[in-house]
Amino acid sequence: MNIKLKTCASAIALAAAALCAAPAAAQSPRPIKIGFVTELTGPWTFFGTSCVAGLKFATDEINKAGGVLGRPLEFIVTDNQTKSDQALAASRNLDINDKVLALSGPTSSDVALAMYGYAEQQKIPFLVPVAAFPQLTKPGTRYTFRIEPDAAGWGYAMAKYIEQVRPGAKVALMHSDAALMRAIMAGFRYQAPRSKLNIVADIMFPQGSSDATVQAAQVRAATPDYVIVSGAGAFDNVITNQLLDLGIKPQQIIHPFGITTQVFGWGQRSVGSIYGTFFDVGLDSLTPDGKDFIARFDAANNRPPSYVENYCYVTPYIFKEAIEAAGTADDREKLRNAISALNTKERTSGVPIVFDKNGARKEYMYFQEIVSVNGKRNYQSKQRFYIEWDPEVIPVYDLVK
Amino acid sequence: MKLASDRALWIFAAAALALPIIADGNKFLAFVLGMTYISLLWATGMNLMYGFVGLMPLMFAGVAGIAGYAVVHLTREFGWSFWLAMPVATVMAALAGVALGLPSLRLKGFYFTLCSLVIQTVLTLAFIFFPTYTNGDTGINQIAPPDWFGGQLKGLGLELMIALFTVVGILLCAWIVRSPLGQRFVAIREDDILAEAIGIRVVRCKIIAFFIVSLYAGVGGCFYSVYIGFVSPRAFDVLVSMNIWLFVAFGGRGTIAGPIIGTAILAPIPFLLQELQAFKDILSGVLIIVVTLLMPGGIYGAWLARRRRTQKAMTDSARVQESRV
Amino acid sequence: MTDAQILILMSTLSTGLILGAIFALVAAGVTIVYGCVWLPNASNGQFFLLASLAAWTFTASFGWTSLAAAAGVLILGTALSYLLEWILIRRLYDTPNRNVAYFVVTLGLTQIMTGIFSLTYAKWSDQFTLPPVIEGITMFGPFPMPNNRLLVMGVSLLVLVLLFVLLRYHPYGRALRAVFQNREAAALRGVNVRAIYRLSFVLGSVIIFLGGILFALAYSYDLTVAWTMSITAFAIMIIGGPGSVIGAVVVGMTFGFTQAIVSIFASPTAATFSYLGAMLLILLFRPSGLFKR
Repeated sequence: MNIKLKTCASAIALAAAALCAAPAAAQSPRPIKIGFVTELTGPWTFFGTSCVAGLKFATDEINKAGGVLGRPLEFIVTDNQTKSDQALAASRNLDINDKVLALSGPTSSDVALAMYGYAEQQKIPFLVPVAAFPQLTKPGTRYTFRIEPDAAGWGYAMAKYIEQVRPGAKVALMHSDAALMRAIMAGFRYQAPRSKLNIVADIMFPQGSSDATVQAAQVRAATPDYVIVSGAGAFDNVITNQLLDLGIKPQQIIHPFGITTQVFGWGQRSVGSIYGTFFDVGLDSLTPDGKDFIARFDAANNRPPSYVENYCYVTPYIFKEAIEAAGTADDREKLRNAISALNTKERTSGVPIVFDKNGARKEYMYFQEIVSVNGKRNYQSKQRFYIEWDPEVIPVYDLVK
Repeated sequence: MKLASDRALWIFAAAALALPIIADGNKFLAFVLGMTYISLLWATGMNLMYGFVGLMPLMFAGVAGIAGYAVVHLTREFGWSFWLAMPVATVMAALAGVALGLPSLRLKGFYFTLCSLVIQTVLTLAFIFFPTYTNGDTGINQIAPPDWFGGQLKGLGLELMIALFTVVGILLCAWIVRSPLGQRFVAIREDDILAEAIGIRVVRCKIIAFFIVSLYAGVGGCFYSVYIGFVSPRAFDVLVSMNIWLFVAFGGRGTIAGPIIGTAILAPIPFLLQELQAFKDILSGVLIIVVTLLMPGGIYGAWLARRRRTQKAMTDSARVQESRV
Repeated sequence: MTDAQILILMSTLSTGLILGAIFALVAAGVTIVYGCVWLPNASNGQFFLLASLAAWTFTASFGWTSLAAAAGVLILGTALSYLLEWILIRRLYDTPNRNVAYFVVTLGLTQIMTGIFSLTYAKWSDQFTLPPVIEGITMFGPFPMPNNRLLVMGVSLLVLVLLFVLLRYHPYGRALRAVFQNREAAALRGVNVRAIYRLSFVLGSVIIFLGGILFALAYSYDLTVAWTMSITAFAIMIIGGPGSVIGAVVVGMTFGFTQAIVSIFASPTAATFSYLGAMLLILLFRPSGLFKR
């Protein structure tokens, strides 16, 4: 009896609360919904979850400071399982059922390309935070914008770096057969003769490779000045370690890109190696906002952020600025035009954000030298090189189909 | 009995053609329906091979992929009309399917299945490693919808067209299994040595079955690529073959209604229950095991068996009553 | 011979030996189970991966040494195999044509495990390496060989020899071969066929688990290794002759060296295609394999 009474009372209380809450909810402004389709399971989980961590930071900041046009910004985070078809289904669902204003989220180029097709066909603004495949901004692109520089350009930047530190260098390439790595190497192969570099070995590993002993020996036999190493996942460490085992010096190894966990993986052994990046704790140009972001991210996640987290941190701010410039949060075409006309800077590092007619960004890259690695907690790096270039300085869209 | 099932078939055909019009109000439901129809077309083809001839062709998705890629290539690179490219791509895929399957036809049971798995793996690898035609792992996106008298066939029109092909596919399958050819298929399934002994040319029948099944796979592959607008090697990998097999086995192999029931229940699940997405593989794996261990006849098979039992019980009790009187 | 040539030769030899030994182990596990129980285990690659992942968890999350992790995985693997046999495998012992049913069931199992791994482990897929059991490098002329890999090579070869001795001289081995050759006759002679089935399934699975641990000790890996290993192990079993441990060893070693040699001249992709091609040819023209069991 007593229990029944209690249940009754709490039910009444709940109903009352719901009644009170309902008008309050009705009064609070409608959120601006953006579909964020990213990799929460599958092989790219690490990128997707890191990205969402960065995204949450910025969304919270923006909404605490009053939102956008007085409305809260809401990212509907949806898993794509690192599968293109799944991403497509999720995009369709977000577009039709949730009526989102824009799409964003993928960190894998393959997945991003599937969503690209949908966004362009359905005329939905699509801001890609971390995906480097050139075709995402191929000529004729109208609704897709990409924050990360394209991968063929990374190859170009790498050639420029080597040209500067050792003219006429002999270079060996070792990379996995993945879209990203193919694009990087295509850019490098194109630029190498123009930068007077010699490619003395060029080895591609199929997906799922797990050993590089023979190939490392071949590379060692070709006596290169630099070895460019880009393996998929943990295989990257295998190639690196086997090269080091064979007597290649860490100073000779260049990784086209490095995020925090990769630097941890290379470890103290690789001190002196170079890696490319777009945001790093060791940058010379960190803004106070950037330092603050690093400190808070580090405190929350027990590791420093890298460019993946940074790009996803930057994403909500780009949406905020563009929506405010468009003056409305209910018109996809106006938002698309506003993003296209955007001329701003990354809060964290002051690098300009300007998109060209195809949605590619004015591109840039840093090359960092590993100074020390402290287990899996933190590391230090030193900026060695910075370069900016026009997206079409090399024929990226012909190099990578 | 036969008349009743005929009537059911025609009612189904009419309903299947009407459904896209009803679902058109909600674009998402309409899309799920379209995908279900493509799966249904595939399941019907798989059923012909697995249910009636008794072979489990795991390279099914690979053959569909050949047609899917071919139709994209023909329309894009050569500027063909979809309606010309589709039959050509389908026949190409069917010929490839027969050529690939030909040597494996004298294998039976497990060895045939393993062989088809190997062929499927080779096809998947080929889709990945010949990027000139397939754009590798990245896949091909922005595939244009089929052309249609100067315009494009998309939305409801395309869904109706897919529904039409699916319905025709099912009616054709129903006609084939009742024809003498279908009788021969069943004879081979039950005992191919005996079938050989009574004068059925087993290998020739299997080749014909292979060709027909590959046509189903091919047509489905063509529509898949233009309906989704995106193809990648994953869209045609062994998991897809297993899934189509599951639709057939779950619904009830060797019947016309079984695959329809199985597909209607299982195919929409991954779209409608987005939260279940991550568990999709686990779920279908569990279902595969459950179906194999506990209900080899599938849902429809189990229902038929039960009805037969109750009918028998009824006639038995009626007979008892009669004898009492 | 120049140093560079020696370097390439030695690296090919070492890679061929280690890969070959691990291939041979896994294929032996698969072939024992198929030969005896008539169970073509399509999920062998997932078993293999499960062992690697569990070993990684034990070292990375629990801070165990690699040796302790290996022991832990083997104990866990044995328990798991018994459990699986009890829940699933024994239900089909008396089914006619059970190899097709088993094949389908293990394909389902593959899907389940793939799904579980992609939900749980995929997010760490760039981190799967085990700390070495022993440190240091031994120089063979100009070629440095990590002691850890030497150990892996030694253990795999030793296990292969032990397996061979077990099958040839131990009473269990004799009973197993009796079942291999003729189930009915073995049953008539008083062999408990179901017990032999169970034992063989567990033995084969544990060998696959061991292969996974050894692989993880020697190499890095990601989740795709499961499918590659499944296909490779099947190819080895079919070519070597289902049920033939000798066949598994010879063909496994050949595959290991093929992989090492092909990677000098051509893209390693060619190796994968050549396995599949060889398996197709054998399936079509000599389904009983090259070696009698």
